[in-house]
Amino acid sequence: MINQYIHFRNLRFLLHEVLDAEGLTRFEKHAAYDREAIDMSLDAARQTGDLHLFPHYREMDKDKARFQDGEVWVHPTLRPAIKALADGGWIAATDDFAAGGQQMPWTVFNACLLIFYAANGNAASYAFLTRGAANLIRTFGDENLNRTFVPKMYAGDWQGTMALTEPQAGSSLSDITTAAEPQPDGSYRISGQKIYISGGDHRAVDNVIHLLLARIKGAPEGARGISLFAVPKLRPEGGELVANDVVTAGIFGKMGQKGYVAAHLMLGEKNDCKGYLVGQPHKGLAHMFLMMNEARVATGIMAIGTASAAYYAALKYANERPQGRHPSNKDVAQPQVLIIEHADVKRMLLFQKAVVEGSIALLLQCSYYADLATVGLPEEKLRAHLLLELLTPVAKSYPAEMGIQSVSTAMQCLGGAGYCDDFPIEQFYRDIRVNAIYEGTTGIHGMDLLGRKVLLEDGKAMTWLLEEIKAAIESARAIDDLRDMAEALENTVRQFHKTTMGLIRLAMEDKPEVFLADATLYLEYFGIVVIGWQWLKQAAIASGSLKDSTAEEEKAFYGGKLITARYFIEYELVKTKGLDERLNRRDRLTLDADPAFIN
Amino acid sequence: MKSLVCVSKTPDTTSKISFTNDQSALDTGNIQFIMNPYDEWYALVRALELQEAQGGSVTLINVGPAANDAIIRKGLAIGAEKAIRIEADPQSALFVAKQIAGHAKAENYDIIFLGKETIDYNGSEVGGMIAELLDLPFISYASHLEMNGNTATIHRDIEGGTEVVEVETPFVVSAAKGLAEQRIPNMRGIMMAKSKPLQVIQQAEAGDLAVAVHFEAPPPKKAVTLVDPENMEELVRLLHEEAKVI
Ligand SMILES: Cc1cc2nc3c(=O)[nH]c(=O)nc-3n(C[C@H](O)[C@H](O)[C@H](O)COP(=O)(O)OP(=O)(O)OC[C@H]3O[C@@H](n4cnc5c(N)ncnc54)[C@H](O)[C@@H]3O)c2cc1C
Repeated sequence: MINQYIHFRNLRFLLHEVLDAEGLTRFEKHAAYDREAIDMSLDAARQTGDLHLFPHYREMDKDKARFQDGEVWVHPTLRPAIKALADGGWIAATDDFAAGGQQMPWTVFNACLLIFYAANGNAASYAFLTRGAANLIRTFGDENLNRTFVPKMYAGDWQGTMALTEPQAGSSLSDITTAAEPQPDGSYRISGQKIYISGGDHRAVDNVIHLLLARIKGAPEGARGISLFAVPKLRPEGGELVANDVVTAGIFGKMGQKGYVAAHLMLGEKNDCKGYLVGQPHKGLAHMFLMMNEARVATGIMAIGTASAAYYAALKYANERPQGRHPSNKDVAQPQVLIIEHADVKRMLLFQKAVVEGSIALLLQCSYYADLATVGLPEEKLRAHLLLELLTPVAKSYPAEMGIQSVSTAMQCLGGAGYCDDFPIEQFYRDIRVNAIYEGTTGIHGMDLLGRKVLLEDGKAMTWLLEEIKAAIESARAIDDLRDMAEALENTVRQFHKTTMGLIRLAMEDKPEVFLADATLYLEYFGIVVIGWQWLKQAAIASGSLKDSTAEEEKAFYGGKLITARYFIEYELVKTKGLDERLNRRDRLTLDADPAFIN
Repeated sequence: MKSLVCVSKTPDTTSKISFTNDQSALDTGNIQFIMNPYDEWYALVRALELQEAQGGSVTLINVGPAANDAIIRKGLAIGAEKAIRIEADPQSALFVAKQIAGHAKAENYDIIFLGKETIDYNGSEVGGMIAELLDLPFISYASHLEMNGNTATIHRDIEGGTEVVEVETPFVVSAAKGLAEQRIPNMRGIMMAKSKPLQVIQQAEAGDLAVAVHFEAPPPKKAVTLVDPENMEELVRLLHEEAKVI
């Protein structure tokens, strides 16, 4: 059941046993997605991963993207990979039938996305970045823009990008300076530069459409003066495609994801770069942010996809590598044991399993909320929407930050072999790192969570989350073997809630920088609590199913869930104690530290 | 071309196999089933390619219980236009062949495709039996098939090489690797599969001439012994005394 990058049985467990994804058929939009259709979709995703993505993961790194003769060379397997994802219907899968999509629920789509990202995030990212960009045009663009760009993007012939970042404007998008000047023909003349633009230029597509943030001349300062434009590399004119004065100055030499190009773009150096307004003037950031939850959950999926592939590589190695003997056995005439026999190696493997499967559970939970927020009944809609808003920074950052530690631990399981490139772990380690940086750094998400989301709708989102967690605690408490775990989580949540209230009080008493100073630590604390919730939920279901299982493989699967849930409570949940203590101190150490003393 | 493609289900290659009923039957309790890869990747796809190039139709047929419907619908998702399932719990190749031949007799298919074998029992029997029951030519292990009018030129994999044969329709052919390139169902196909006809018909009377009475799993793999490359004598000793291969 475990192929080399994803645990298929685990996905089916989460979709069918934990979340009841099939239950979404009660909504007309998803009526076709019964269990058989869900399984067939997962299977098609796996076949696509096996055939078009996974085999090229390492080559795309060794033969990395490069800039030569003004062109961006990418690995030749990329074009067929993008095409396979487009032809499979994956780029538009969640859209309505009328828009060329398949009305796939997010819960199912994101499970498939995980398969693609785990198989080869470098290649799959191109296609799903295009998806996000096309979706912006579809949602906010006029009919003409839709007709001109979207079909080519959905077909995988044209790349889409998100062009936000500039040299002086990364985390702080309100400082964007790229300019847009209205033209008599209704278009805008664009000038400026963008950096780190993923998929920004490459030869595996025939054109690139940048969904770009710029400031219309005379627009108000700051975030309220930013607009969204579609800026093609080649613009359609008189039935032809002509160069649109978007020049690639170079691509960035990166630590990882070397097959996934990040370009430096110069726009309008010859005064001939046309952009087309998407949506309303000055609403660009708001439009962009409407898609942000989707992109952030996808970044969490990308991170944990990589950690998943690393975990299964480490697990395989640990089951094959003999080394050393148990501490009580000093007899060298005895054969060595497999390293999976050592308690410390088991700890490392359980840590990875806890992070990987816990994160996947949270990401699919968020996807389920995304579905309910779209198609649910009015009262579930609001609840699901607020829960998704609240959980998104966590669903992006926990898999990104803990995924890095998980891959690092995978490397440790392989010893020297993990560090050397005969095995893929060193690539996973390089590839996963960026997920904590793009789509908002962890620091920015910490501030978003504590500064905005926790207080959302007068704290309603937080109240509802605590209700969800309480429900899981009650289900687990009813099962004898899980009672102590339920109580451990209950105690942690009680303390977490108290600390949160204390921070909110602080926000009312002092300047925002005071209560936000340790927002990243709060995010970490929050992450451990919600992953604990997800593990307890899984444990309660696994415990029931274990009793009904006869086959050895199934018993091992559910038994694995139970031991990992316990591992999480015993080894990870306890880490909240230090965080809690820190978040209750009021010493303002970092706030008051003189930069001159940090030397 | 009017083609019939016979599809069967087999355990996913990663499934752990065990037996019940005193080792006389496969324990299907926990097995993830897939469509037999030779049927799916080669037989079905080549039939579809011929339909795309020259028109005609592609019908799937399976002999088995309702639980097989998911696998049959995968074939519909890949592109076949309709399917037939003969309700039965097949016990032998002859039984399956008789059911399929019984259906095919009245339908005048130009080509009946199957995989060269199923990857579980590896019998390679059904194709030859169908051909015999229908009095048609049977070409096995086809790795290449071209049509020119009603004449097919078929490459067969044989020991150490290839045999090229010509045959007129109608005929039965079993597909080997190379006959076509695997197709993955796209989301549109998966959605459409639901509304394509899957007709269930009752089995015809047919006896089994042979039944399985006992299965044995191969012995578990032994642990690997690593031998220092400098220590050739030890390697020779192990090969001689323990592996007993030299
Ligand atoms: C490989 C790669 C691909 C990318 N792809 C794209 C893309 O396709 N499109 C696009 O638009 N961008 C892209 N980016 C840019 C990415 O989104 C930014 O790098 C990211 O938002 C951080 O901005 P920055 O690099 O300017 O870092 P900075 O904003 O300078 O941040 C540096 C550090 O300071 C912290 N910091 C910044 N501001 C604050 C604050 N107010 N309070 C507390 N701490 C703060 C940050 O958390 C971080 O730790 C990509 C980046 C990379 C590396």
